[in-house]
Amino acid sequence: MRPLALILLLSGVAAPSAALAYAEFQKHIQATSGRNVNCAVCHAHGDGPDGVKPGQVGSLTPAEVDRLNRARIAFEPGQTVDSPILNAFGNHIVFTVGKRQLLALKNDPGALAGRLQETDLDRDGISDGQELRDGTHPLDAQHGDPWKLMKVNTRRYGLHLVLLAVATFLGLYGLGHILRWFGRTAEAAMQGLRDRGRDEP
Amino acid sequence: MPSAFFYVGLPYAALALLVGGTVWRFKRDRFTITSLSSQVLEARTLAFGSLPWHVGILVVFVGHLIPFLVPELWQAVTANPAVLIGVEIVGLGAAVLAALGLGVLLTRRLLNARIQAVTSTMDLVILLLLMVQVLLGIVVAITAPYGAAWSAGTLMPYVRGLFTLSPDAALVAEMPAVIKAHVVLAFVTLALVPFTRLVHALVVPIHYLFRLPQRVVWASIRRAEELDNQPGGDPAEGRRDLVKGALGLAGAGVLLAAGVLDKLVRFVKGDAMSKDQKEHHMAQKLGRLEQTASQRALELERMRSETITVAKLSELQPKSGKYFIDYQMRPALAFQDEKGLPILISAKCTHLGCTVGSQADDQGRILCPCHISYFDIKTGRPNDGAPAKEPLPRLGWVIRDAKGKVLASRSADGTVEGSVDPKAPDAASYEVCIAKKYEEA
Amino acid sequence: MNARSHGRPARLVTTLVRFMADRFPMHKLNVEAMIQKKEVPLHKMSWAYYLGGLVLFFFGIQLITGLLLLFYYQPSVSDAHASVEYLTRYVPGGALIRNVHAWSSSAMILTLLVHLITTFAMKAFERPRELTWISGVLLLLITFGFGFTGYLLPWHQIAVSATKIGLGSIELLGQYLPGSLADIPTRVKEAIQGEASVGQATLSRFFAAHVVLLPLAAFAVLGLHLVSVQVHGMSQGVDVPSRRTERFFPFFVLKDASLWGVMFFVLVALALCVPFESFFSYPLFEPYDPLGSTPDGIKPEWYFYFVYYPLELLPFWLVNLLMGAAVGVLLLAPWIFKGTSRKTLRMLAAGAATYLVVITLFGDAIYEMLKGGH
Repeated sequence: MRPLALILLLSGVAAPSAALAYAEFQKHIQATSGRNVNCAVCHAHGDGPDGVKPGQVGSLTPAEVDRLNRARIAFEPGQTVDSPILNAFGNHIVFTVGKRQLLALKNDPGALAGRLQETDLDRDGISDGQELRDGTHPLDAQHGDPWKLMKVNTRRYGLHLVLLAVATFLGLYGLGHILRWFGRTAEAAMQGLRDRGRDEP
Repeated sequence: MPSAFFYVGLPYAALALLVGGTVWRFKRDRFTITSLSSQVLEARTLAFGSLPWHVGILVVFVGHLIPFLVPELWQAVTANPAVLIGVEIVGLGAAVLAALGLGVLLTRRLLNARIQAVTSTMDLVILLLLMVQVLLGIVVAITAPYGAAWSAGTLMPYVRGLFTLSPDAALVAEMPAVIKAHVVLAFVTLALVPFTRLVHALVVPIHYLFRLPQRVVWASIRRAEELDNQPGGDPAEGRRDLVKGALGLAGAGVLLAAGVLDKLVRFVKGDAMSKDQKEHHMAQKLGRLEQTASQRALELERMRSETITVAKLSELQPKSGKYFIDYQMRPALAFQDEKGLPILISAKCTHLGCTVGSQADDQGRILCPCHISYFDIKTGRPNDGAPAKEPLPRLGWVIRDAKGKVLASRSADGTVEGSVDPKAPDAASYEVCIAKKYEEA
Repeated sequence: MNARSHGRPARLVTTLVRFMADRFPMHKLNVEAMIQKKEVPLHKMSWAYYLGGLVLFFFGIQLITGLLLLFYYQPSVSDAHASVEYLTRYVPGGALIRNVHAWSSSAMILTLLVHLITTFAMKAFERPRELTWISGVLLLLITFGFGFTGYLLPWHQIAVSATKIGLGSIELLGQYLPGSLADIPTRVKEAIQGEASVGQATLSRFFAAHVVLLPLAAFAVLGLHLVSVQVHGMSQGVDVPSRRTERFFPFFVLKDASLWGVMFFVLVALALCVPFESFFSYPLFEPYDPLGSTPDGIKPEWYFYFVYYPLELLPFWLVNLLMGAAVGVLLLAPWIFKGTSRKTLRMLAAGAATYLVVITLFGDAIYEMLKGGH
């Protein structure tokens, strides 16, 4: 999939013009992670903010435009915003980094991930920054680097796994013995049947 | 002060009796520290009583002992609701098993003449006592469930207090009557241990399960030979397998049932969403419905209308296409050519039907990402060697001014009629439409 | 009236009756034959005897988890994706059950393919087991049907686009048919998808097929398959019949059950720890947008790679011819390879297995190597 994504990038069609505002991040993620990503990492719509579909600028109600404008002037970090064209992760970036630095980071898109090491919005055990590096979705607990998810989940569900292993072991042990017992008993019963058959006629 | 008597005096008296009585019995006749076996007299019902009883009561006993020995660990483990439910199920199951087994044993003691002959009064007393105690335990488990959790602040400190010589009767005094009865009866039973067959619990032969089998038979050569020749081998061997097998399967079954039930019950019960999540989810579902509704509206519009507006002519660009839906509900793209006229081209790839991208490259080609076919937007033709062989069809169009007057049109076969002056004063209001009459059949 | 007066037709009937009697010696369906006397040969290929049971186990898991998924799934274009997302995100245990269903489907197909290849290599289709073999091949096709129809149900980008491509290839057949026949594949495609393009009608049809039609078909064929396996017992499996055998009951059954237990553990552990969708790019799992562009990376599930990559690389007619021939050879194997020794069969099976493994693991790399220049 990686070369395919690159081809698309070179031909300039992967990113619809609408989303070009932050295409640096998209390009960087795709190049470093090898995974194809779209604007839905941070935006409400996968095709980015421009357009008339739900979650795009053209579809906003006046109240939402108001929220959008408030988000657009959140230049310094630490301001809670609720932009209608961003998803929870996008709003979280604005909160953590602030608009000013975010715009500056366009020249160094890899550095954004480092600023988001502390949080894990989908609580899947992989920090938002790491998910950004891996090209996986920071808001979907089912989505993450498979290997990292496995390590996290093995720890998280350790008790379940141990109990399941114990159950499996006990089951195998019990099954072994019960079948041996049943085999013996059945053999005895069969022998009994044959003996009776011999006696009767 | 009855509570001081029941919850402080009685426990210490019981412990004293337990220790003193056992020493006394050991001194008097050490070989009576056992449980007089009646297996030789009657074996069948014994197996159905003794086995469940012992399995059940041992599980219950361990369950009572662990929280007392390692309270912090126990609390940490049972903080997990799944474990707590598991413990509850295992405990209750074991108690019921014990009660059933005990019932069988009791009936056997009361009904079988051969057993009656070797049954002492104390045997009956202790059996009845245990029966009441187990039933009380079951009632406690049902009326006050999750004992593993609530006992942490009440019974555990109380029992530990007894051993650290700082007993606090108040911890028990306020509890429901069944629990108090269960506690008091426990100490009574403890006190009786040295004077009954229960004393055998102090000398459990754990190695029994794993030593080589020994057979107890009447001293008769004929009987021994009979056993040897029995089909299926020695029944004692078989029974040992049965016991181990049943134990293993019961353990696995209980664990699996607890795990699966825990997951299943919560799965069937449904979501555990916060108010925000509910709102978000409902908004999302509404959004999807609206999307479907708008698509249906498009379909209806295409059934009814002779012409449909695609875009304002001034909005169209040479490189960046605008998606729209043609009369057959297929995606299509609108560009502008160098003369300022629209280019309307199908966006449904002629290879396998993917939707072609909207951004033209420097050679004026759009890409289908599924199998990499480039289509020229002017001719619709795919590049050489592309998986797609057929060109994307160009669509006909009509340009109207604000009053609805048709200024120019292009039919499906490519004939352009009329002309448009982009510098006209009302040019900004010119609309590009698709027309039903120009759709290919 | 005697048989002779009817001549040829009567002889045909007699042959048929004999044929069926040989294939279904139902008098062998009793305790004595199934428990007391049934033996399993022991040789170096004995492990293959466990594969069929394993497929059955995974099928059982699919049934149970599938039923549970039905509690929450809503088969409509506006709700399907949302209901799956709801199930995964908000229903306790929903993600686990969905992942078990996904992992188990892959495991079932993998085991089924190994079962097919080893059965072929062991010449287990030999008389009187022809019908067992054919029912097995049918079950393989049904299982692929399960995979294809189930893939559409979540109604996300990859689901709908992959289905479009799959159904689109039916249409391409039209170019090889003369005259008015050329329309037939398109008609067939539209009959399957129920409307001009993949939409609500397709979803409803695939849903019905996935949860009702195919399971019913699977039950029927599986019943036949299992009964014939029971009445004929295990095939000898090697050219020189093995003298060492093992009692089916309890030893083989015990090992079978233990294997199931271990597999259950592995399956649940995998489903708990590694979400099935984590291997793909997430734009593929966004709800399908009929008016938007198709994201790249659209591919069928891995178990269709063996036909998907050839379709990408070779002329369409050639791939169709090869696949048609393969199915034909599979169905007629008991007669085509009647006289072939097991050694030759093993080599053929090894060749097929090598092809499947290479194309599945390296298909993408091969594709990039040959077509990457575009």
